[in-house]
Amino acid sequence: MSREEILSKVKEAFVSVLEHSNFQLTDETTADDVDGWESVTHMMIITEVERVFDIKFKLMDLMNMNNVGDLLNTIESEI
Amino acid sequence: MEFVKKLQESIKKHFDHNVLCINNTFYKYSDFAIEISKIRAAITDTVEDSEKLIGLVTNDDLQTYASIIALWLEGKAYVPVNPSSPIERNIQVFGMTETKYVIDSSETSLYNDYTVINSGSLADVKVNLEPKEISGDQLAYILFTSGTTGLPKGVPITFDNVQGLVNAIDAEPEFNLVPSDRCLQMFELTFDFSVVTYLFPLLGGACMYTIPKGAIKYFYIFKLIKEQKLTVLTMVPSIINYLRPYFPEINAPDVRYCSFGGGALHSDIAKEWSDCLPNCKIFNYYGPTEFTVYSGFYPYHKETDTKNHNGIIAIGTPQKDTLYLVVNENNEEVDIGVTGELCLGGPQITPGYWKNEEKNAQSFFVRDENGTTVRYYKTGDLCFKDEDGDYLYVGRADFQVKIRGYRVELAEIEFHAKAKSDKKVNMVALDITNSLGNAELGLAVESEEFNTDMIFDYMKTQMPDYMIPMHVRFVKEFPHSINGKINRKELKTYFDIK
Repeated sequence: MSREEILSKVKEAFVSVLEHSNFQLTDETTADDVDGWESVTHMMIITEVERVFDIKFKLMDLMNMNNVGDLLNTIESEI
Repeated sequence: MEFVKKLQESIKKHFDHNVLCINNTFYKYSDFAIEISKIRAAITDTVEDSEKLIGLVTNDDLQTYASIIALWLEGKAYVPVNPSSPIERNIQVFGMTETKYVIDSSETSLYNDYTVINSGSLADVKVNLEPKEISGDQLAYILFTSGTTGLPKGVPITFDNVQGLVNAIDAEPEFNLVPSDRCLQMFELTFDFSVVTYLFPLLGGACMYTIPKGAIKYFYIFKLIKEQKLTVLTMVPSIINYLRPYFPEINAPDVRYCSFGGGALHSDIAKEWSDCLPNCKIFNYYGPTEFTVYSGFYPYHKETDTKNHNGIIAIGTPQKDTLYLVVNENNEEVDIGVTGELCLGGPQITPGYWKNEEKNAQSFFVRDENGTTVRYYKTGDLCFKDEDGDYLYVGRADFQVKIRGYRVELAEIEFHAKAKSDKKVNMVALDITNSLGNAELGLAVESEEFNTDMIFDYMKTQMPDYMIPMHVRFVKEFPHSINGKINRKELKTYFDIK
């Protein structure tokens, strides 16, 4: 799966949890940049991403995930 | 005031220790003392002596914590407002407390209509931690909790109340913070649980670790536990609910205390969490804002102390000087094993809701006990006491009734009924038993008769049909019970339904 395809699926996960698509996702995007992305919705996004890609993140990876780029890197390493 | 004096001594004694870790930056008690002194000087320069309730914008920085201590040394109370809350709400809070001065460390303060002390840019002064004379009935802080219907509810806490809390925790041999402790401080300072997570580390000379705004709370806490080797955790149970899928990856041997509060702790997850903390004592604390954070705890242990009711861990016994009383609807004590509303008495009880006599009449009562008068706060929590003297939590005592099998909150019906009514009159929703023994909903309106079509049309847009009252009665003056509460029982007699 290409990085673009991964990003597109990740964006779908964000839209389904946050119930809006009023944001751009780039490698540098953080929770501060997206309306409604905070601690609780983050947990829901993580669960949704795990479901879509059929993977299970490690707590160590989640702990150091600071932006969308980190999320994509971790997904790439898991699938 | 003894605890303020002890804070002064602890800050002085631990000058070379860390006091706070904020976003990976460490601050020492000596830095803290300097900030406190600067803010104090600004307070004495700016604020009239008679002004006791000072606004505090709760940023995540050294100055905000220093402001609390500076205000206490000056014998003043902090009225915290969260910078993430709507400014209208915060201004409403300051309006209710008639606050004129606000301490704000933000680069640009939004509180233009107030005299703002910008704690982020104050001139250097000599360190001065000597507390002023404080009388115990002066206020130490006022917190506002969300009322379900409109205006926030203010809970004032006095210096005596805080001293009561400190005495109770000091009397507990099982819990004792030391300067080498590294403590989680995950709470927003507008939330009363924060009082124990900054006060006890400061008194013990320990270091607090905060959660930066914008961080993903759950993972950041784990990161702190792992990388900073936290030793003391104070949390709400929802934190571990979110971390639960990752428990197998968590092993934190450095944690020696883990205290829970602010919600029901379930026994299954408590056991699993306990497995992650092999060297830890777990405390299940109970206590409302109105009783200065904590009123007592149950010492949980996954093998030996697992007492629970319907899977909810026991809340244990009252702490030093605190009295628990379980009562029926007439505020009479019930027997052991019988469920009733838990009431709390003792030195930590708030003087009463801020300028809210009606709510005070409902929530507090006095009782003669062995020749002395004891004032009790009604928690709204249903509990019972078991044979060992432990208290077990059952649920909330809110006005919740069952209509056609649905759980209905009567307060919600009242809220929507009043919302669009152009007549500002009192309305009470009641459950009335019909001749078949089923409950139906009635709406009592304290007024002369008027047309209610608009109210009902609006309610139908807001609530499912089973929540729409089927009966309306107009009552010129609602009957009240002796303690000032609306007498719902008598009000029900106005509804003669088949």
